Amino acid sequence: MTTGTLILATLGVLLGATGTFLLLPHRRGEAKTRTVYILGAVFAGLGLLGFLSLLTPPALSPLADLIAGTFFYVFAAGAIGCGVMSVTSRNPVYSALWFTGVVISTAGLFLLVDAQFLAAGTVIVYAGAIIVTFLFVIMLAQMEGKAVYDRAARSPGRAVFTSFLLLWSLAYCLAGVRGTPGASDGNAPGPEARLVRGREIAAFYQLHEGNEARVALDHALRPTSALFADNDPAKPKPNVAGLGEALYADHLLTVELAGSILFAALIAAVLIANPRRADAQA
Amino acid sequence: MTDPFTIELLRNYLLVGAALFALGMLGFIARRNLIVMFLSAEMMLQGVALSLVAFGRYHGNWSGQIFTIVILTVAACEASIAMALVVVLYNRRSSLDVTLWQDVREAGVSTSDLADEAAEAAPIDDEAGVESYPHLTPAGVEPAHPIQPWTERRR
Repeated sequence: MTTGTLILATLGVLLGATGTFLLLPHRRGEAKTRTVYILGAVFAGLGLLGFLSLLTPPALSPLADLIAGTFFYVFAAGAIGCGVMSVTSRNPVYSALWFTGVVISTAGLFLLVDAQFLAAGTVIVYAGAIIVTFLFVIMLAQMEGKAVYDRAARSPGRAVFTSFLLLWSLAYCLAGVRGTPGASDGNAPGPEARLVRGREIAAFYQLHEGNEARVALDHALRPTSALFADNDPAKPKPNVAGLGEALYADHLLTVELAGSILFAALIAAVLIANPRRADAQA
Repeated sequence: MTDPFTIELLRNYLLVGAALFALGMLGFIARRNLIVMFLSAEMMLQGVALSLVAFGRYHGNWSGQIFTIVILTVAACEASIAMALVVVLYNRRSSLDVTLWQDVREAGVSTSDLADEAAEAAPIDDEAGVESYPHLTPAGVEPAHPIQPWTERRR
């Protein structure tokens, strides 16, 4: 990690923290002037730009990469910007709607990593079901006018400091991680600082055939669990078919568990929401 | 053929996921509305899901996406149970304020009277500002409603 990137990351996180603090509700719920909001939006926008310039641009030469790169930046900025708005909105209905923006941007990012089924599933489950449930509960339980607890935040300064410190340290740690060494990497440091792909671990450690670790690795990396046929990135498996194969061949117990959890949650929600009925029968 | 999804691309997705996670944490700590706190928790889940899918793509297996499907399931269960809880809590105290539930804290932790503080120091601005609701123009004189037999029965 170069010093320039470090300074850029620190500046972006500081600007974003300042902007978010200005946008958050006041500690005692005092009204903020329009100037404070504009200032906060400018700071947060600058911080977002600084954060986006941290990201490595994909190779922009072929047209397909150009489009994918542009969409990546659009979706990343949309996710983070909608996230800030959803956290800072006074009105919980607006919060829920901005959160829909986060969900849709995340679904776009899923599309860019070849997870089409998950993109559709996220939009259906989150934007279609969870947000609608939230909106129903907001309608059931919203006080008339602006409630005090919506206009006031709980120690916003310390909260902003904590979470942006977390963001800065995560960015700092991530910037130091390097991938599988290529042919040009002569003096490669130890494997601790590297993130070696699962299917390249055997080659990285130069394990010979019959080595116990290699046998275990071959068992762990089953062909059904691979994204590509024959481990060749030029031959991707079809998305839904491959996901279903992996889900029902390697993770069958997970599916059963997920079904049990849904059933338990169904019973729990019915019991919690109607406490009087339980009393009447007892 | 080498995989075009390099560590730099993976790092992009991880950074975005980290930002979503940090923002969700900020909302969970700083906001006082139960529903908004819950939305922030869901935003943290979104950040984690994004990181998992990117990791799965980097390692070339489906595990990340399968983890994310499990996260979706758990999030749906969590949302249903939490919304049921929120409705019950709202019926108890007629408020979504989380600071009203400070009496369930651990012994020895001091409380803060944030609600009283906010109620004292927060006049809702009468003049048109960013945080005020628009004033609706009053409608005209209410017309006389002739009482019909079917409306009488409803009273």
